[in-house]
This record gives sequence, C-alpha cells and structure tokens, in this order.
Amino acid sequence: MRRTIAAASAAILFTACANERAVQDDADVVSDIETAQESATDGNTVETGKNIDKSDGPVRPPLDPFPSTYERYAHPNVALTGATILTATGKRIDNGTVVLVDGRIAAIGAGDAVAVPEGAQVVDVSGKWITPGVIDNHSHLGDYPSPSTASTADGNEATSPNTAQVWAEHSVWPQDAGFTRALAGGITTLQILPGSANLFGGRAVTLKNVPARTVQDMKFPNAPYGMKMACGENPKRVYGDKGGPGTRMGNFAGYRAAWIEATAYKKKWEDYWEAYDAWATNDEDEAAPEAPTRDLKLETLAGVLSGDILVNMHCYRADEMVQVLDLAEEFGYRVTAFHHAIEAYKIADYLAASEVCASVWADWWGFKLEAFDAITENAALVHEQDGGCTIIHSDSDIGIQRLNQEASKAMAAGQRIGLDITPEVAISWITANPAKALGILDETGTLEVGKAGDVVVWNADPFSVYAQAEQVFIDGALLYDRNEPSRSPRVDFELGQRGNEFTGGAGQ
Amino acid sequence: MSKIISKLLISIGALTAATSVSFAQTTAIMNARVHTVSGDVIENGDVIITNARIADIGANLTAPAGATVIDGEGKVVTPGIVAPYSSLGLKEINLDAEANDASAGFGQSFVLGAALDSMDAYNPDSILIPVNRAGGVTRALSAPIGGDKVFSGQAAVIDLSGSVNSVTRPRAVQIAAYGYAGAARAGDTRMGAMALLREYLDEARSYAANPNDYVRRPREERFALSDLKALGAVISGAQPLMISANSGSDIRRVIELQRRYGLRVIIVGGREAWRVAPALVRANIPVILDPMHNLPDRFESLSSTLENAGRLADAGVEIGFYDPQGGGAHNLHLLTQQAGNAVANGLAYDDAIAALTLHPARMLGLGDQLGSLEVGKIADVVVWDGDPLELSSQAEAVFINGVRQSLENRQTKLLQRYRDISRGELPHAYRGGE
Repeated sequence: MRRTIAAASAAILFTACANERAVQDDADVVSDIETAQESATDGNTVETGKNIDKSDGPVRPPLDPFPSTYERYAHPNVALTGATILTATGKRIDNGTVVLVDGRIAAIGAGDAVAVPEGAQVVDVSGKWITPGVIDNHSHLGDYPSPSTASTADGNEATSPNTAQVWAEHSVWPQDAGFTRALAGGITTLQILPGSANLFGGRAVTLKNVPARTVQDMKFPNAPYGMKMACGENPKRVYGDKGGPGTRMGNFAGYRAAWIEATAYKKKWEDYWEAYDAWATNDEDEAAPEAPTRDLKLETLAGVLSGDILVNMHCYRADEMVQVLDLAEEFGYRVTAFHHAIEAYKIADYLAASEVCASVWADWWGFKLEAFDAITENAALVHEQDGGCTIIHSDSDIGIQRLNQEASKAMAAGQRIGLDITPEVAISWITANPAKALGILDETGTLEVGKAGDVVVWNADPFSVYAQAEQVFIDGALLYDRNEPSRSPRVDFELGQRGNEFTGGAGQ
Repeated sequence: MSKIISKLLISIGALTAATSVSFAQTTAIMNARVHTVSGDVIENGDVIITNARIADIGANLTAPAGATVIDGEGKVVTPGIVAPYSSLGLKEINLDAEANDASAGFGQSFVLGAALDSMDAYNPDSILIPVNRAGGVTRALSAPIGGDKVFSGQAAVIDLSGSVNSVTRPRAVQIAAYGYAGAARAGDTRMGAMALLREYLDEARSYAANPNDYVRRPREERFALSDLKALGAVISGAQPLMISANSGSDIRRVIELQRRYGLRVIIVGGREAWRVAPALVRANIPVILDPMHNLPDRFESLSSTLENAGRLADAGVEIGFYDPQGGGAHNLHLLTQQAGNAVANGLAYDDAIAALTLHPARMLGLGDQLGSLEVGKIADVVVWDGDPLELSSQAEAVFINGVRQSLENRQTKLLQRYRDISRGELPHAYRGGE
C-alpha cells in the first residue's frame, strides 16, 4: 500500500499531463488514500495520531493545471462509401466504406462487407481516397503565428540554455491562421514544440486541430506531454557569447549537469512522499515531513526520467544522435524521436535498435553545415531497417499544409533505389508513426474500428501533387469542406481585412 | 544597342559550349510527348539536337545518321527549367558566413549596393548546381539578395553545366527591395524605401547625363559613384529592375515608379499581386511568386492565396516561380512541385509549364534564345520519366547547350556510400568516393 501511494504520488507530481496510465494511477491513488484513511480511522473520528489530525494531506501539485477542455463537435453519423482507403495499418481497401458513429470509427472495410447503420448520412466518395487524419509531430503554429511580428514571436525562450520550465502551450495563440491552412491540408493533430535555441527548450503540447477560443479547447485529451531538446549548432550559436554553451562538448556537459540535478530532485520528492506516507499511517505525534520546494524546470525533467514526458530531440548529425543515445542510457530515459535527423540514414541501424523514430523532411537541406548531408532517400532508408520508424514532419507553416506531398517524394526516392515502399505503407509516416511518437496511437493515427473519427477525404491519390484534402473530419465532425464555404474556418485576425474576403478561408 | 550586346554574348556562350564537345554532335529524342511551350504539345514528337541548338522538332522525323538516339516512348520532353530568382552559385550554406556570399550583411552598413556584381562571387563549382541540375534546372538567375541598401546589386544568368563558361549573361538584372524588406533598410518605413529608390535613380540619371560634370559638382557622399554607374543600365532600360513587393498598394507604388522613370520592372514576391492584375498587365510587369504561399504572415500579405498564380495568368500576367525557403538556392528543382500545386489551385497546365520555362527566360531577356523548344534555339532540354510536375517524376536526361549532363551529385554519392551501412571490410570513408 505504502509503495503504491509513494509511486503514484510521484506520478502526480511528475505527470502534469493526464495520459491514460497517469489517469489510472491518479484514480488509484485517490482510492488508495481514501482506503488508507478509512482503515486508519475509527468510527466517526478522523484522528490518526494520538493528538495530531493527519487527515489533511499536504497540498499536492496539481496533476494537470491547464486541463484540456476539448469537446468534439456534434455531427450526424456518416458512411463514406466507394473510396480507395489507406488505413495506415499497411492495408489498402478498394471501393471501401468508413462509418463514423458518435465520433468514432464504427466500421471499415470493402463496400459490400460494411453495413451502413440506420439514419447515417451516406456520402458517395467514389473515385476519392480516404486516409487517417494527418499528424505533424513538429509544428510551431500558434507559437510563431501569422502575422509574424515581434509581438507574436513566442516560440523560443532564448534566455537560458535550460528552459525546461516553459510550456509551449502558454505561447499558443489559437487565432493563428496557420491552423486553418493546416486543416485544409488534412492535419487533424499536431504537436507544438518550443524552438531549438536551448539545450532544453521546454514542454511541447499536442493539439487537436480544431479552431477554438482557448488552447485548452484544443488540447488533445490524455496525450502525454513532450519535451524539446536540441543538439548541435543552435544552442552554441545562441549562447556562445552569452556564457555558453559555446561548443558541442559544452552542450553535452549542459545536458548531463541538468540530468544529474533532475535525478536528485526526483529522488528528493520520492523520499518525501515515502516519509509522508510513513507519517500519515503511523500513530506518532511527530510533525509532518516538510515538502521540498517545487521547481518547474526540474519537475519537467523528472517527468522525463519517470517516463511520463516524451523527449523530442532536435538533432541533425549522425554522430551526435548516437552520443545522445548514450546520454539517454546514462540517465535512464528514452528519446522518442530525433527531429530533422538529416543524417539518420547513416545510423539507421542504431535508431532501429534503440526504437527511436526519425522525424524528417523529404528534401530540405543546406541552411547550415549540420544540414549539409541531406539525401531524399533518408526517410526510406530509416524505414528499411527492421523496426525502423520514419516520420515526415514539417517545422513549417507552409510545409504542414502538404505533408502528403513530402511523404510522396520520400516514398518515390525509396522506390527508385529498389525499396518496396507502397502508398499503404508510406501513409503511416504522416499518420500512425507520428501518433505513436506522440503516445496517442491508441486513439488516432490509423483507420480502425473504435478509434477517433479523424478522417481525410482526398479528391485524388494523396501522393499526387494535384491531390487536395476535400473533407476533413475530426472526431467525426466535418470541420473542413473544400466545396462548402460554411465549413471553412477563418480566424479573427482575418476578419474585415480587405482583399481577404475573396480568398476562401482555410481552403485558399 | 543593349539587345545587340546581349545577342552577342549569347552567341559567344553557345559557341564556347559548342566547341567544348566534338563537332556535329547530334542527339535525337524520339517518340516522346513534347512540350514545345511556344507551340502545341506534340504527342509522339521528336527533338533533334545538333551541337548546341535544336536542329529539328516535329512528329515522325527520322533520326539523322550517327545521332545518339534516346527512346522517348512514355517520356515527356520540356525545355530546361529556368529559375528566375535565386542565389545559386553564391552560397553553399546559408548560416556559414564564409560559404555564403549572396548578400552584403544586413546591419553591417556596407557602403555599396547597386554596384555589387554577382559575377565576382559566382562559383561554378558549387555543389548546389549539380543537385539542381539533376532535377531538370538548366538556367538560373544568380542574384545578390538582401543587404543594407535598397539596391542589392547585379545578377547574372548562368547555366547549370558547372563549367567555367557557364555565365549566360552577366549583370542581366538589378535587384532592389521595396515593401517591408525595403523599409527595413530605409528608416523602417516604405516612405524611406521609395524616397531612396527615387533619389538613387535621379542621381544615376544625372550622372549618366554628364558623368564629367557630375563628378566635378559637390555631391552627397552617401551616393557611391560605382552604384550610380551601375544604375545607368537600369535607367536606360538595358537592365530590368527586379524589385520585391508584396501588398497590392506596394505593387501600385512600384508601377508608379516604373512609369515615372520608364524602367523595365519585374516584381518578386507579389503575394497580393492578384489584386492588381489588370494594372500589372497594362504596365507589362511580370511577377515571380511562390505559389504555395497562402498565409497572412505579414501585413503586406494579408490576402495571399494559393490561387495567386492562376488568377494572374488568367488575367494575362506573365509569371515565374521562386522558392523562398532554404535561401532560394538549394532546392530550385522543387519549382516543379510549386507549379504542380499552382495547377491544383487553378493555374492552367500549359501556363504552369510556361512559368517554369519560357516566361522566366523572357523576363531575363533571353526569350529569343531559351525557354521553348524551337528550331534554332539553344538546346536546354529535359527528358522526364513522367509528368514533370508530378512528385514521383524524375529528370532522366538533361541537356544544356546541347550537351548531355551528368546527373550525379554530392547527394547521389552520399547515397552510394551509405546505401549499405554494415561495417564492411573497410570504413565508409573508403566507399562511394569514385
């Protein structure tokens, strides 16, 4: 019992997000505490010590201080029929049907094998293609919004090499028109990261791409938090003449010093909860143990060490990525994905063995020396490894609008060197794999019965340059329709701007 | 006069290219879908290249004896892609000062602007050239971009052969900035930018009218003589002025500038150009744009739309494409993807091909020699394995000045080296270097 409480309490402290497991832990801990208190009390009294009331526990750091208030929008149940479907589980279904009931995928399969429920809207999408909603695990929308001005440049807290205490969501401006353009490109979920100026950039947040008044209304329920870290040129360029780090060895010294501190902090809180738990359940008249002071920076890092917060590591060079793998090993945490990873193809075997995804562009390169060795086959060569995990990301308010095209170029490059990469596989680079890296694959990222109704209807093969997302459903709600202006969002900033009224909102 | 000079330069360039290969070298691309651009698409068409020029084009031609024959069955042939705005050859790496000569540093108050000549920095050995060439790009503007002055300097047209003779036309275009980019160099206001543009043009005109008299008069030190000399070609109309402007109102001011000084003007950026399309047509001003831009990311681009390219072309404005990402040099081969996106958003397919080829060639003053497949024109020709705008397509054969180019580049060598990442008998440093 005590161990359970201590461990679960640690989960409360170190998990500001409510992923499914944490929610479970939290529920457990509440009932455990209640049980402990009930069993320790006798009759109607609440005393546990001889003369001290131990019933009021210490003030617990809130589990989730900025909780998601996302609610799916209502939409009639719908059956999309006659489409070519890429499920992102490796399957392609010709002349297929997807049925969305109460926001979830209720059925999917070949047209003649799927029963359309009574009352559902039947939409004939013959000749069109259906994929899961597209997911970008590297975006700065809202943090670097449109318009791009000094007022809105909120993506890089470039004031210290370690700003693990900042949370990207506190910079997200929901009125960024970029969200609507991304929606028109089929994006249903996206991770907003802090920038890469710092060794530790801060927490990332995963959002549903649903227009909203508040960022809380966009937060993907129960998604774990991410944390941004950065390798190489950026931190040393930003801090080289501001006290360091000024070198790559300085970068690593900075990471290690922070993890040492975080390890001690995590232990301090675990010890505290253990002492508290002992105190709460004994009958001595001792003063309660004193809680350590919260430190937001270390709280996030400790959350990584507990496995509750997922590490997104901006890293270009092959040799640096392998050093980071050793660093993670030294301190007992996991890197979920290397972002940009221009040289992933040189160490694709290491990445596969460590089960780390490479989140890459198709063909961006040359903006700095560490991005000089790009090849378009990068994504395919990462994928080719047994257990390799390729993600195509954008890092761009323009690129996020056509991740399908980026995946297409990367797929074609792989095919040209003889790799067997089909559209039904490559679609997972922008759906299932980013969902996995964001810890939300149980909820979205593939078209499977029971999952969220995050669905894109394309007017053509999505790997064609001419293809456009025609309809985008999020949790079964039609939030974008290229042919229906009333289903094309326009943010506040765009209203009343001359010339803008003719552009067509998100569909422009 | 200027036309004579430019034709002379082209002839010299073509001659040089011709003498670098064995005489009477002939290539016949047979039975392909041929986009002539200036005329109709020829299904099952043939293109005969002799030395540097297109010798014949049509259907059911006979390959000349001794010609190297390329079977074009299922292939598509177009003129080479022309990138009308880039800094190709001026930089290897954006964020490396030593490897980036594309602009005088912003905020460094370097004394010269218009006088800067990209020929002085142009490096035909740039590894970016073969990378872009493999994607079907055969000519590009190598332009100084940015700096502290409203005039950035003079840009050269180059071919992508990477040879020492690869300059098609030096000092072909003068680059300038208006709108937000210009304002940032002129007291942070568009008023400053336009006033400076006018002052420089007035001074250049005054200098050109009587250089000896001008230098004897007392004058303001801020006008470097070399800048005024360089602007003479803009004043005379010999050099087009390629000027960045995005909002409808900014473009209108540029049109006014053109009218007042009788300039040849090309707009770069043009996010809201669709709003002033009729005025652009009347003024005969082409626009180089990014057809994938659609965000109100500046107050000068509030009505940026994916339909910009299609609306401009439909109105009769000549358009070309540029890629603002990655510094506008590394991925010029993605202009085809941009064109494909423009087509998806309303640009007629043939207009998209023209925007990649003939229209930019015309903007650069080379439309009579390049940009279309016509008998007598310089043979910059690309054979594609499919629709050139489609993401899965690739350039299979690239000809510049009639010479078939290698499609190898640093990226193909990296692939060769790391295609197999197993340890092997020797380290990777011993592989793929040949």
